[in-house]
Amino acid sequence: MILFVVLIGVGFSLLSNKTNSKVSIPSTVSASDGYGIVLNKDAKVKVDLWEDFQCPNCRNFEAVAGGYLNDLARAGKIRITFHPMTFIGPESILAAAAVACAVDSGKFLEMHMALYESQPAKENSGTWTNAALKVIAAAAGDSSSATKSCIDSGKYVNWTKNVEADAAKKNVNSTPTMFINGKQLDQTHYLNLAALKADFVALGVK
Amino acid sequence: MKKIMGLQPWVTLFARLLLGVVLLLAGYLKAQSPSKAQMAVRAYRLLPVSIANLFGLVLPWLEIGAGILLIVGIAVRYSSLFGGALMLLFVGAISQAWVRGLSIDCGCFGGGGEVAAGQTKYLQEVLRDLGLTATAIFLYLYPHGKFGFDKAHLEGVQSE
Repeated sequence: MILFVVLIGVGFSLLSNKTNSKVSIPSTVSASDGYGIVLNKDAKVKVDLWEDFQCPNCRNFEAVAGGYLNDLARAGKIRITFHPMTFIGPESILAAAAVACAVDSGKFLEMHMALYESQPAKENSGTWTNAALKVIAAAAGDSSSATKSCIDSGKYVNWTKNVEADAAKKNVNSTPTMFINGKQLDQTHYLNLAALKADFVALGVK
Repeated sequence: MKKIMGLQPWVTLFARLLLGVVLLLAGYLKAQSPSKAQMAVRAYRLLPVSIANLFGLVLPWLEIGAGILLIVGIAVRYSSLFGGALMLLFVGAISQAWVRGLSIDCGCFGGGGEVAAGQTKYLQEVLRDLGLTATAIFLYLYPHGKFGFDKAHLEGVQSE
């Protein structure tokens, strides 16, 4: 009996944590990029960022380096892939699914920024509901009905599992984790904008 | 002496509930967030990534299973042996992280992964797991207690 319960549980966990290639994915996402959201896919310097919208360190990182990275991304100077992880819980899943909706409407960076600006003080406190996320999207300049129905229908909820499964394969054990051209960013450079800029300048990104 | 031995079934019951509830709770909290449990195992940097991820999914259910057996009092000897081995494994894993200077949360009750350098709690984690190991050893030696399904005549015979 007990063995049965254990086996059922293990089986269920295994199935629910597997990558599912049939889920809906946002327009700039592909399996070869670990299901991450890619901006400027042809730029030479490659940046990968693993984050969770509920993670306080990610918010701090965004506050320090977000503006700079967004400028580089908008200017097309870096190929940046965002991997929104969801291990902190249900509200991370809703936030990640909502930011994926903003990809389709071309407001990804705006929504990305707006989510950190409105990060609740406590994790999974019931603050980030789909209704709240639609308000945040509207405040970020995305009040299209497509985005609203995308958030409401949970269109990209299952996609977040694929991102999470890929991060597990790539041994990402904390957030934020950033790789520049496949090399992990020095631990002390996350909250040190001058050092981060120097890393990019060294690679010819000015 | 006889009077002290008379307490043994009650101590066994207490030990069963202690180890059982801890295992059940730890398993339940981990099973709530499998991706976090996987991250916790990976952060020990002991196992190859794919095996660590598998272990992170399987471990919570093993804990739940062993916890239920101990609470109900079925196959106490085997489940305490399993629970004790698990605790020793945890002590070893946490200690190696400590010695290697990793900064991780043990992820014992959910959570886990890398933490800031000053936020580790290795000493208390190791002491707690050593205490639970001692509890398991007691249960292995004295598996028959109050309100358990195991009976003395089943000694050495697996009852499930």
